[in-house]
Amino acid sequence: MDAEPAAAAAAVVAGPAQLERTVIKAGDHVIIRMPSSNTKIVCIRADSTVSLGKFGSFNANALIGRTFGHTFTIVQNGQIEPHHQAGFDAADITSANNQTIVDDPKSQKLSFEEIEGLKKQSLLGAVSSEEIISSLTENNEAFAQKTEFSKSKYIRRKQSKFNKSFVPLETTAYNLCEFFFEVNAQKTRGVRTDTLAQMLALANVYAGARVLCVDDGQGLVVGALLSRIAGGCVLGVHDGDVANYDVLRYINEPTEGRLRTLAWNKLNHQQPAFAEPELAADASENDVLGRARRLRGHQKLADTLAEVRQGNFDALVVSTKYAARKVVIRLLPYLGLSRMVVVYDQCREPLTEVYAWMRDSHAFVNVQLTEGWLREYQVLPSRTHPTMSTSGGGGFLLSAIYVGGGGV
Amino acid sequence: MFHEYKNVIEDGDTVIVYLNHNSMSPLKVEAGQVYNNRFGTFKHDDMIGLKYGSKVVNKDGRGFVFLLHPTPALWTQVVPHRTQILYLPDISFISLYLDLRPGKVMIESGTGSGSFSHSIARTIAPTGHLYTFEYHEIRAQTAKKEFIEHNLTSVVTIEHRDVIANGFGKANIADAVFLDLPAPWDAVAAAKAALRKDTIGRICCFSPCIEQVQRTALALDEHGFSDIRMYESLAKDYEIRNVPQPDIDEVIDGQRVSFKPVKNDKKKRKLENGSAGSGTDTDANGSTIKELTVTKPTDVVRGHTSYLTFAILAPEEGDDVDMSE
Repeated sequence: MDAEPAAAAAAVVAGPAQLERTVIKAGDHVIIRMPSSNTKIVCIRADSTVSLGKFGSFNANALIGRTFGHTFTIVQNGQIEPHHQAGFDAADITSANNQTIVDDPKSQKLSFEEIEGLKKQSLLGAVSSEEIISSLTENNEAFAQKTEFSKSKYIRRKQSKFNKSFVPLETTAYNLCEFFFEVNAQKTRGVRTDTLAQMLALANVYAGARVLCVDDGQGLVVGALLSRIAGGCVLGVHDGDVANYDVLRYINEPTEGRLRTLAWNKLNHQQPAFAEPELAADASENDVLGRARRLRGHQKLADTLAEVRQGNFDALVVSTKYAARKVVIRLLPYLGLSRMVVVYDQCREPLTEVYAWMRDSHAFVNVQLTEGWLREYQVLPSRTHPTMSTSGGGGFLLSAIYVGGGGV
Repeated sequence: MFHEYKNVIEDGDTVIVYLNHNSMSPLKVEAGQVYNNRFGTFKHDDMIGLKYGSKVVNKDGRGFVFLLHPTPALWTQVVPHRTQILYLPDISFISLYLDLRPGKVMIESGTGSGSFSHSIARTIAPTGHLYTFEYHEIRAQTAKKEFIEHNLTSVVTIEHRDVIANGFGKANIADAVFLDLPAPWDAVAAAKAALRKDTIGRICCFSPCIEQVQRTALALDEHGFSDIRMYESLAKDYEIRNVPQPDIDEVIDGQRVSFKPVKNDKKKRKLENGSAGSGTDTDANGSTIKELTVTKPTDVVRGHTSYLTFAILAPEEGDDVDMSE
């Protein structure tokens, strides 16, 4: 295939423009993964201190300008140092086994007080975590009898307690979804990473897409949709007067121009013309600003209503606490033909009702109800296996292609 | 076509002909041509000018099909298999994990049947780029022809190349690398060379066997990749049915009960009344049947595709990094 056909050769780009390098900026939200593998979201404000609890704290300025994904260790005085993550250990199968090891709290010769003392010194930076761990293993009578794998596991467990290294992670859609699923799954209606990924793929979201979305899970779905959109837009239909898309504030990218929101009670709203009279020449500054603000609000609603009523949206993506069938019915008139409807729920029953309705309606083809099935593995030389505990479920998806016609 | 929607079918477009859930096929619409399937004969001329999603009736007015807009997800369901392909649960999970978005530059090897390539192209278009490599010459040519037909050449460059022997011929350009090769560990060094060094790089290796995962993980570790994590991503399909739930008391009282599901036309009527789903109905004898709408996993599901081994290549961070900001 050395000789390019003319048509293809003409279209080959000279070289791709790379996206800007992402560095941690003041004001960014960052997910910090701690030695325990627990994560927390912190805002990196200039001149502030970031506390990682028992793992210590560091000066936020030390992280500004750094890149995501690297491992850092907290050293003295709130400073951090790039740290090369230890690779795989070379533990191998040996003849040692646990035949003669008896569970005995006395096998550790260091007292509780001595260990606490080491931890205190470690927080001050006087003792390294490696030093603590080696004194623990040296003073543990059972350690020498352990198998190589068991020794390695013991050390990994102690590292997750005493290490002071952390990894700053970007608040990507994947990382945010994983974070909320672990920390507060109810906030995001229990959507797991694989399920969120399937929503985006099924909905066929692309840069220029116009997506109609109902997200009662605090904006995680809206945020994930926005991460795939450049030029298109997401129109979020929401409860109350103002959309509660709390998750969006963790995403370090502006949403202006790509996100519009409309309250449900404005869906059928017939907006009158802006009726406030012009202000007198001597009106107070407050009156002038107030009128300007109300005019902007009026115009914004007018624009959003015009966008909705233009219809022909490219996807309808729903994660709602309301009865989903009606939600779909009310928004379907705005969806283009041969476009996807994707409905998420943490439970199957609410979707079963929608499934039965779609199946018997003539307006949909390719109706599918699926459940994601995700399994993580520990990968270590000769010790690869599924993790001992895993999530029992990550939600259900109902998807269909809307072809219009009667029946809705 | 595959990376944006249009509304009306034009001469030269690829459409997905939908017969039913289990039967779909791609069709290139060309003026003057005729399309035959078991539902009858359809003239391409009748399709041109219709809206995507339209139902077309065959010549004698009996059979009909829907003409759907192509999408990467539908393409995965209809692509002619030249190799084992990737399916939606893997495709979507890998794409989200690798943080694919408009503007990203990605490397894929091998191209295989192009199932994943279409999806990557859709996600990174219009400003990103996919370099995809296939060592099998005929497969590379076929995929190339498809990319041209599907108007993807501004986003996808395909090269016939053995990347294990020759590398990718790219340095410092990719945000993400995907390796679907028999021996991905032999391509890890090339992947490292191709990944950007100024920002975080991500890799996914796709292997069906655990022994491959072991070797790949060791190679990733040796080459300085970190955060090695491995997943399986699958999906269960559910089917739906209505199950009659007669009352045992009626039997105790000596009545006969029916286990026949409610007829479809009755259900349609219920639909019009806006009450589909579980409920009660009356059978021909006038006795009341309780019905439950239930779902169950399909009898056979895809139980394994491949293991997804992910890792990141963290940017170089030395003491020489300028920290003044």
